[in-house]
Amino acid sequence: MTERSTDDLERELAFYRRQCNDLGARVLRMQEEQSRAHREARRSRTAARLLRSAFGLVNVEASDEAIGNRMLEIVLDNLVCDRAAILRRDSRRGGFMIVNALGFAHPRVVEDIPLNDPPEFFFTSSRETGDEVAATLVQALGLPFIMWAYDPAAGIALLLGNRGEANVSRPFGPDDREVVEAALGVFVDIMQRRRVEEELRVAKIVAEEANSIKATFLANLSHELRTPLNAIIGFSEIIRDEMYGVDSREKYQEYASDIHENGQHLLSLIQDILDFSRLQSGRSTLREESVDLAQAAAAAMGAVATMAQERGVRMNIGIRPGMPPIHADPTRIRQILINLIGNAVKFTPAGGRVEIRAALSDDGGVVLQVIDSGIGMAPEDIPRALEPFCQLENTYTRRFGGTGLGLPLCKTLAERHGGTLSIDSRPGFGTTVTVRLPQQRVADGSASIFHRA
Amino acid sequence: MAGTMGQELIGVGRSNNPDPREAGAEAARRAADMLKPAEIPAWVLLFCGGKHDPAAVLAGLRGVVGPLPVVGGSAAGAVTSTGFGYSGFEVAVGLFPEALGIPDILTDSGLLQGEAETGRRLGEGLRGSADERVVLLFYDSVAATSPPKLHPASSLIEGIYDGMGNCRPHLVGAGTLTDMNLSDGYVFDGTKPRKHTAVAVVLPAGITAETTILHGCIPVSSFMTITNIDGAEVFELDGKPALEVLETMLGIDVADDDGRTLSLMVTLGEKHGDPFAEYDENRYVNRLILRVAADRRSITLFEPDFRLGSIVQIMSRDNGLMVQSVRNGVRLMNQRLSGRRALMALYIDCAGRASARSGSEIEEAEVLLDEISIQAPLLGFYSGVEIAPLDEMRSRPLDWTAVLTVLCCNT
Repeated sequence: MTERSTDDLERELAFYRRQCNDLGARVLRMQEEQSRAHREARRSRTAARLLRSAFGLVNVEASDEAIGNRMLEIVLDNLVCDRAAILRRDSRRGGFMIVNALGFAHPRVVEDIPLNDPPEFFFTSSRETGDEVAATLVQALGLPFIMWAYDPAAGIALLLGNRGEANVSRPFGPDDREVVEAALGVFVDIMQRRRVEEELRVAKIVAEEANSIKATFLANLSHELRTPLNAIIGFSEIIRDEMYGVDSREKYQEYASDIHENGQHLLSLIQDILDFSRLQSGRSTLREESVDLAQAAAAAMGAVATMAQERGVRMNIGIRPGMPPIHADPTRIRQILINLIGNAVKFTPAGGRVEIRAALSDDGGVVLQVIDSGIGMAPEDIPRALEPFCQLENTYTRRFGGTGLGLPLCKTLAERHGGTLSIDSRPGFGTTVTVRLPQQRVADGSASIFHRA
Repeated sequence: MAGTMGQELIGVGRSNNPDPREAGAEAARRAADMLKPAEIPAWVLLFCGGKHDPAAVLAGLRGVVGPLPVVGGSAAGAVTSTGFGYSGFEVAVGLFPEALGIPDILTDSGLLQGEAETGRRLGEGLRGSADERVVLLFYDSVAATSPPKLHPASSLIEGIYDGMGNCRPHLVGAGTLTDMNLSDGYVFDGTKPRKHTAVAVVLPAGITAETTILHGCIPVSSFMTITNIDGAEVFELDGKPALEVLETMLGIDVADDDGRTLSLMVTLGEKHGDPFAEYDENRYVNRLILRVAADRRSITLFEPDFRLGSIVQIMSRDNGLMVQSVRNGVRLMNQRLSGRRALMALYIDCAGRASARSGSEIEEAEVLLDEISIQAPLLGFYSGVEIAPLDEMRSRPLDWTAVLTVLCCNT
């Protein structure tokens, strides 16, 4: 082997150095291309992971605020940003409000963000001159580099921000639009779905309650109808079969009287049911006239005077002279009063008293009260007393009579007149039923409302 | 990797709760749950995501463990055996019990005045007590943000060795960061979060350590000589403008984006020992590029420890090699620790190695969790600079590495 000259060796070394550097440069570029491809692939994986994590929020039971915060955690974790916020458009005042924020070291005073013409996508970069939108959003987040996505239909926006432009490895850019809009879209969908689910849940509860009330009503109704019918059938069978022989005329007359009484009760029950049903369905209209409350009270009291006398209950009208008349349906006002006074007399023992009062309230409306010194009821029983056929105990019906629709009817009639009916009662101390009618019902009131049933 | 829960000598807990107080308390509770019931915690290692208010995290932690000394700092993310993340909300806690002894904690807040002097003072403090002991060193990496300026770890470490004289501890540690963008950093100095501070923890004599450095850079050039340098700013390689050398090699104009692309692609590496020996990643000290100056055609490195005449190579940050290095290094540590009583594995991972930054197809932290089989809790965090023994028991600051240190019982 021939010995090579130093010059040759140096040239060879230089050659290998060039080769080494060229190959190294190629390796380096390949590495960089590979890294870039991996970063792009990572971005796709990140987007997929972000959406997967965000979709997981659908089934999370938490407040809207907690869901928003969790969404921002997912966004920050996946997109590796410094701060993020969810904003809601204030359609009344314009502009936006920050409703969720994450990455702020200290609690930040949430202010109005005056952005009246919001873009659907926006980002800031050092290569472009900032405009008014940029200035507003940069100020909102307190960071110079921001990215914004906005869903106009939902009025919700997602705002991300970084302290430095080259956050982690690259600045915000148009390529990010897809992922940030997808994240916002998922969040909007989740919130809408939660809202719909909540509405459905409430509607279901309402429907279930309505069904339950309906079932209870039907059960009570059947019971109330069956009781007098059973009596009618029973007594008429006795008479038909002459069960006490042919000579028991007095007994049969007594049973005929029972049949008549139960028939009357059944009739009034059916009338009340039809009346209540008409009022509930809105098929009944008010025939409004001027009603003198003192006269109406006296007439109602006259209708129950016999019963009051029989039971030893004193009655009194406490309506001052000069009480203005009201605009109302006189028949319905009389029906309210007769029902309330009748109830009061029924539930007041002998020696007790019942009073009707009427006066103008502080707001110019009418306060009509029926006050008794009767047996009263427990506070928890009052709502039930206002439900149809929910008399507190069936023994009351048997003991005191009535259809069990009186108070519900009165309440519905008061409401048809734009008013309210409330009960104040204590066991052993009596009951006060108060009907309030609005100022417009007073004849000399400035405005007039004519509530159509 | 950890043994049975509630049976550990050192408790480790992690949280990524966005509420700082809750995060501190949650991580502390999880760490306390891992301790043996009879153990009384004596001090705490705490690493705290950059989006958190450190004082609030500390308050949450102290609400659980009481007023113990707390050492550590900010972290771009955290790794424990239950998972990893770098969202900025991670908090990782290591609870050390009294039974392992009480460490000496030394701090110096003079980094802004001079890293070498700070190191020297710390070294002098370590001289009497740290020989052959395990010393954990933490300092905050970021000195200033605009323009970016780091506290050079090389000056700090050199100062420490100057101050220590012949004292030779097993020194491992990190420069801390709040995120991958070099936004900020702080340390916990035993009592509170502080900036421009270095804190050294001399572990009790009963604790030893095994350390491995995991790399990921490969040379892609021939040897080049630094022919003009000022501190960390390299002006010339082989007499040519340093930036031009790199641009020619890469075939791109890297000055366009202030060096961001460059910092993701290459490092300068100095090979120790025989320069013509076979490639061995453990022989290289790599320096990341912090920024470029288009007007001066220079590049500025993370550390100012290369000198005029230093022989360097351009190194490619190779993600495949990084993953392989973790796999091999961790397997080797598994073997080395086999049969020994390990207390805790400390993983100090350069934040740039995280997939979001490096573009690696595989998260190297995932590889770590897959491979590690040491029977001890794992406490890891993402850092700016890693410090580990390179040769002859002298530690150096490292870039784009991961340092796996396993603390063991010296019995």
